[in-house]
Amino acid sequence: MKSKKAPYLFLAPAIFLLFVFSILPIFLALFISFTDMSLAGLADYSRISFVGIGNYSKILDDQVFITAIKNTLFYVTLGVPLVIVLSMTIAILIKLGENRYFSMMRVVFYSPSITNIVAVALVWTFLFNPSQNIGLLNQLLALVGLGPIGWLTNTDISKISLIILAVWRAIGINMLIFSAALQSIPDSMYEAAQLDGASRWQQIWKITIPQLKFSTFFVVVTTIIGWLQFFEEPFVMTDGGPLNSTISVALFIYRNGFQLNNFGYAAAGSLLLFVAIIIATIVQLRIQKVDTK
Amino acid sequence: MINVDRKTKIVIGIVLAVWGAFTIIPFIWMILSAFKTNAEIVSLEQNVFPEQWTFDNFRILFERLNFDVYFINTVIITALSFIGLFLNAMAGFAFAHYDFKGKEFLFMLVLATMMIPGQVTMIPVYLILNQLSLTNTYLGIVLPTLTSAFGIFLFRQFFSSISEEFFEAARLDGASEFYVFFRVALPLSKPILAVQGILTFIGGWNSFLWPLIIANDQKYYTLSVGLQLLQGQHASNHALQMAGAAFMVIPILIMFIVLQKYILTGFNISGEK
Amino acid sequence: MNKKLSLLFKGSATLATLSLLGACAGDTADTDTDSDAGSNGSDASVEELSVWIMGDGNEQAQEIFDAYTEETGIDINLQSIPWASSHDRLLTAVASGDGPDVVQMGSSYMAEFTDAGALADLTEHIEASDSLNADNFYEGNINTTRIDDAYYGVPWYTETRALYYRTDLLEEVGYPDGPNTWDELSDAAMQLSERGDDMYGFDINFEEQTFGFMFARQNGSEIITEDGQAVINEPEFVEAIDYLKGFVDNGSSPSQDLGLELSQTFGGEGVVPMFISGPWTMSNIQNETTDIEGKWSVRTLPEGPENNMSNTGGANLSVWSSSENVEEAVDLIEHMTSTESLLTYYENTSSLPARTAAWEEEPFQDELIEVFGEQLESSEHMPVIKEWDAISQGYLSTFESILIGGADTQEALDNYNAEVQSMLD
Repeated sequence: MKSKKAPYLFLAPAIFLLFVFSILPIFLALFISFTDMSLAGLADYSRISFVGIGNYSKILDDQVFITAIKNTLFYVTLGVPLVIVLSMTIAILIKLGENRYFSMMRVVFYSPSITNIVAVALVWTFLFNPSQNIGLLNQLLALVGLGPIGWLTNTDISKISLIILAVWRAIGINMLIFSAALQSIPDSMYEAAQLDGASRWQQIWKITIPQLKFSTFFVVVTTIIGWLQFFEEPFVMTDGGPLNSTISVALFIYRNGFQLNNFGYAAAGSLLLFVAIIIATIVQLRIQKVDTK
Repeated sequence: MINVDRKTKIVIGIVLAVWGAFTIIPFIWMILSAFKTNAEIVSLEQNVFPEQWTFDNFRILFERLNFDVYFINTVIITALSFIGLFLNAMAGFAFAHYDFKGKEFLFMLVLATMMIPGQVTMIPVYLILNQLSLTNTYLGIVLPTLTSAFGIFLFRQFFSSISEEFFEAARLDGASEFYVFFRVALPLSKPILAVQGILTFIGGWNSFLWPLIIANDQKYYTLSVGLQLLQGQHASNHALQMAGAAFMVIPILIMFIVLQKYILTGFNISGEK
Repeated sequence: MNKKLSLLFKGSATLATLSLLGACAGDTADTDTDSDAGSNGSDASVEELSVWIMGDGNEQAQEIFDAYTEETGIDINLQSIPWASSHDRLLTAVASGDGPDVVQMGSSYMAEFTDAGALADLTEHIEASDSLNADNFYEGNINTTRIDDAYYGVPWYTETRALYYRTDLLEEVGYPDGPNTWDELSDAAMQLSERGDDMYGFDINFEEQTFGFMFARQNGSEIITEDGQAVINEPEFVEAIDYLKGFVDNGSSPSQDLGLELSQTFGGEGVVPMFISGPWTMSNIQNETTDIEGKWSVRTLPEGPENNMSNTGGANLSVWSSSENVEEAVDLIEHMTSTESLLTYYENTSSLPARTAAWEEEPFQDELIEVFGEQLESSEHMPVIKEWDAISQGYLSTFESILIGGADTQEALDNYNAEVQSMLD
């Protein structure tokens, strides 16, 4: 009964726009990554020359880029699970309450997403201040006789500090998505479970979390994509330092490519990142397929 | 939902309150700083509340911003960006409920657009818009960000979780595909429409890059661009920035509170069966 | 059933192809316009000139433009560009070849944008004009407008760096007028840092891309010789970096970003009572650090082994190469850089005029501002070459690795020098 044409009609406008404003530019980037395009080349195409895989071999040879890859993997492995677990936990806790007070909590947990980035940077710089007299976190640690910790100045800690900050920022939107998904779990499922004498924990483990699978999949995929492109936190807080301990791949590309108008180099870096993300995503899509079968 | 007794509820409430207090600090700081002088914000002695409440920041803001022009532009751009919400919903519906040739490939293509940094695409997109003579137009400002893979993907996931039976029932009654989409799928997806509505609103309301780049004239600037103009090259006036940020966040908060109601309007599948 | 939509679909498919073709065709069209850009087929009567100003242009310069419109009848289409996005906006203008008639160019952008052909050659106009020729401006600024013996802009406002210090604290350690030489600077800093834990004397700036180069010049380093040889690993440069490293090693400068505002480090007890910065910092201190009123001052940089040369910055006014109104644009620039306009501009923005004659005027007789005037006599811009941005980026990480990371100075600078040389070649 389903129309054959219908899906294409539904897709056409969106795909068309994405094609023009996203896909086409990606192909252009691929092309540019094999050239030495700079500001001069942007103004006058005759000043662009092909350098083959020159940009790729140069970037893979760059020690800072390798550091950036390692840092980014660290961010993803620690940050992504934290974001998912915490945002799901908060969404469920709020849902359990289900009254005005708890609804208000949604606004509270969403607030980091709508806080101006300058305010975020100022407040967190203050919280992370290395001095025990000034930094709030170090003051708290001093109360229990610990610290002070150089949150942003110690090269071993700085990455973790940025993860804390980024998780704090990322919870809101994902909590909201889980909240919406929680609404579509039919009450009858819980009622039936209660009749069978299932405890609250069992209901959460056996009903709530499995029923959230569509939204969990979404959150996992988009969060991994987002964290592989980790940029804003090191950009505003540390600019990749100290001693490149917080530099991410995206920040490296921005600093060494776009800021310096090395478009070929920047495109090569972006394409490498792009391929890494695609592979990560395809793997997830496959896993999900196996799961649903 | 799971039945929770009063005692547990209170415990959960306290946990959320403590955690939430820590979460909301920067937001509160932003709002309160809007009423401080810049000298107070950067002073060594940090007070939670302004020593002396001042509205000067807001006064300067409205004096210096070309407010009426920027406000109208921002509203127009925000309104136009809601068209994108429906295009995303349609595409998400197609991916969720039809089997067609090239589906996986197209979906991967959509996801791929999320994976490339915006800086890479900025100049090519600008050149395309320039070729289409869309510079200095509202259309040129909204087109690059109208549809998003994030939105399409999110809709796809939610439409997938709706049981196929709802649609089959409508089709048996002779409804067209578009009727099924508008009258069956969308009403069943109020929670996610509300979430996407919030995101679309925030995106449109805060539009910055494209209004700046596409405009050859300040008359197309938005509030975000106008606020950025107030920042100097070397020193930034935090108080003014916070006043701007606090002002910009009010409509977002209102939108959030209004739409949150819809996030909570679940549908009861079993009830309608 | 879905006739309308299938039509729509067909329509958008055609559009897609069209836009693709358009994009491709556009590529060639762009090159065409670029090749004949710069020719000034100025119309008999120009009605409007477009101007790009960074920051809030209306606040800064509206009066100046109004005066011009009244005088000439030419309207000004002013477009203000936020500082943080100025690079993006300029890039898109380069990409489309479509820029304003008059544009404010940061002095450090000049080399690269000129090389890209984005700016019109104004040599003819500048040499013919009494008020625009090079003798009128500080040399440090003129050098940013002159590239390969041609002029691509007119200096507008200038900046240079000087030493800010707390008079009360410096007096206690025997330098009531601040340190005069490198030796005095390190001695004063050392003494001041002995006031207690978390107390310092001088601020070594790890984020400022010109900091080490400035000190190297004071020690006689050329940085890059006239025939394009990098001399960053020569003794002049190495000694300067070692000198700076001394501050961090003996604790007279913080070894990390303190994460504090200026009012918190310079005000109050004066955690960091000496630092180097530009004129813009004066109003910051005056407005925000009121607790130390009368207890601070500015002076010219301490004398190094060779000189006390500072670093010039600021912005120029240029004409975009696609402008068809070059003559009128230059006329507007002449108006904007007149002493009268510069005074208005100074009142609105506190930016110091690059025109030397303007310094005769009353506002610049102020004691503190005069310090910058004096420093400008001994101040140069960083090398005006298109590779400079990349070079200074490399400097930041090298400098950090030596001062904090414990890398050997000579070895790290050898590597950096080789890197710079490869960029130059």
